[in-house]
Amino acid sequence: MPSEINTPNKLELKNIHKSFPTVVKGHAGRTQILAGVDLVVKANEFLTIIGPSGCGKTTLLRIIASLLPADSGEVLVDGKPVTEPSAERAMVFQSFGLFPWKTVLDNVRFPLGIRNVPPREATEIAMTYLRKVGLEKSASAHPHQLSGGMQQRVGLARALATEPEVLLMDEPFGAIDAQTRELMQEELMRLWQETRNTVIFVTHDLDEAVLLADRVVLMSPGPGHVRKLVSVDLPRPRWGYDVRAHEQFAPLRAELWQALRGDLLQGSAAG
Amino acid sequence: MTAVITTGATSVPTRSMRWKEPRRHLLFLAGVLVLWQLGNLALGQLVLPSVPSVFKALLEITLSGALIKAMGESILLLFLGLSAALAIGFFFGVLIGRSKLAQWTLSPYFSALFVTPTVALVPLVLVWFGFGLSGRVLVVILAAVVPIMLSVAGSLRDEPGELVEVARSFGVRGEIALLVHVRLRAALPVILSGFRLAVGRAVVGMAVAETYLRLGGIGALINSYGALFQTDYVFASILPLTFLGIGLTKLVSRVERHFQGWQS
Ligand SMILES: Nc1ncnc2c1ncn2[C@@H]1O[C@H](COP(=O)(O)OP(=O)(O)O)[C@@H](O)[C@H]1O
Ligand SMILES: [Mg+2]
Repeated sequence: MPSEINTPNKLELKNIHKSFPTVVKGHAGRTQILAGVDLVVKANEFLTIIGPSGCGKTTLLRIIASLLPADSGEVLVDGKPVTEPSAERAMVFQSFGLFPWKTVLDNVRFPLGIRNVPPREATEIAMTYLRKVGLEKSASAHPHQLSGGMQQRVGLARALATEPEVLLMDEPFGAIDAQTRELMQEELMRLWQETRNTVIFVTHDLDEAVLLADRVVLMSPGPGHVRKLVSVDLPRPRWGYDVRAHEQFAPLRAELWQALRGDLLQGSAAG
Repeated sequence: MTAVITTGATSVPTRSMRWKEPRRHLLFLAGVLVLWQLGNLALGQLVLPSVPSVFKALLEITLSGALIKAMGESILLLFLGLSAALAIGFFFGVLIGRSKLAQWTLSPYFSALFVTPTVALVPLVLVWFGFGLSGRVLVVILAAVVPIMLSVAGSLRDEPGELVEVARSFGVRGEIALLVHVRLRAALPVILSGFRLAVGRAVVGMAVAETYLRLGGIGALINSYGALFQTDYVFASILPLTFLGIGLTKLVSRVERHFQGWQS
């Protein structure tokens, strides 16, 4: 199991703070979004993050990707602080983030080109990953010709093509219909079983959070922090059996829901 | 896996559709020519020369080589002016689109240039540059640069969603690299429609330069026949100019459509 004690730390977040400038009643101020986020992610771990909307999940992910600087605190990968974005921490975006003017193949080749992989090799690698997500036949299509599920498969292939050490996924299946989403969860599990990179997966779907995770992080708002960490020891691989019917599933879900419910109620009362 | 690829709305035109439009155009043209000929009868040869006399004049200036030579000069002027306008418009467009300071300081002057008739600037250009080619090119630039600048600046001002962030996340660094990889490419359809507008204005600028600055090219042809009241020859010289403008605009539209192929 990846949660073994002697597994090295892949990613460490140390006391991350982040605020954004805001204007309230004509007064310029700053709103604290994240306050003291500490988190350690093991190598090859599949971590899911769940929390009420607006608690800073996307902000945290952007800080991990170095797309946004933290006010204070550190992001360490393999023990070394990182400050510049890199395909080693590859992102999968909620609204797919595909370049509409590029073909599917060129979208997947994009990060390889940035890394100066020779064109022929880049095409080969890109096709390999398109095959893995079952889209090799759509290589020459443009994104708008594909369904949402297919577009996100392209997004996934693009993120995986550079063999990232850490895969950051921001509600990747949030814009995808429920049935396709279940298929994609399974596909992601299969891919991850193969690639075994470290995954941080943000979701607002409690079932999804438990289904995929080695550990679930529950974030709370006001300002955002890690409220609860729950290990999920459901047997892997998690396909070929009904995970939701497993005896451990319901108690885990209930435990998380109990905590999440409070935040949601507070949020709706405040809002 | 559901491998449904819905082809875009760009349906292939059927044979009958492809022929219907030109036929309609031709029919309308025939109507215009008939009206023209009637107008000639009513107004006289000087005001509205007869259709056959215009065609005769066109044939004559084509065979004598005068038209070809004039067109050559005009197209060269157009080419130089448009290329320079493109470069300058791009430069200032990027500057104004990406920098608030540049926008506040520079864009009013471009707006002023946009509404100033190019003809009004000719005396200034004459003083600054004399009668040489550079002055004529400048007139074309002044006519054409603003739509290019505006379309570049305008399309760069609004962020193309999260795509800049996507590019950054995969390691694209620096404003110039982001411009090339994302911003300008996302803006291309808008920039091309600005360029289409610029082409039309450049043709006008070209005619102005060739008429008011120094006689040359098609402008000179029109002017000299006009001075002799040979209106049939004037029409014969204007027609190629019109077709040049239409042709160039069509060409840009074609390029535009090519780059818009990905838009649903
Ligand atoms: N660039 C920004 N500038 C100002 N406020 C921001 C910015 N990005 C996010 N926020 C605010 O930070 C809070 C957390 O946002 P986000 O991280 O997107 O939350 P989540 O992903 O958990 O829904 C929200 O209130 C949002 O309005
Ligand atoms: Mg979010």
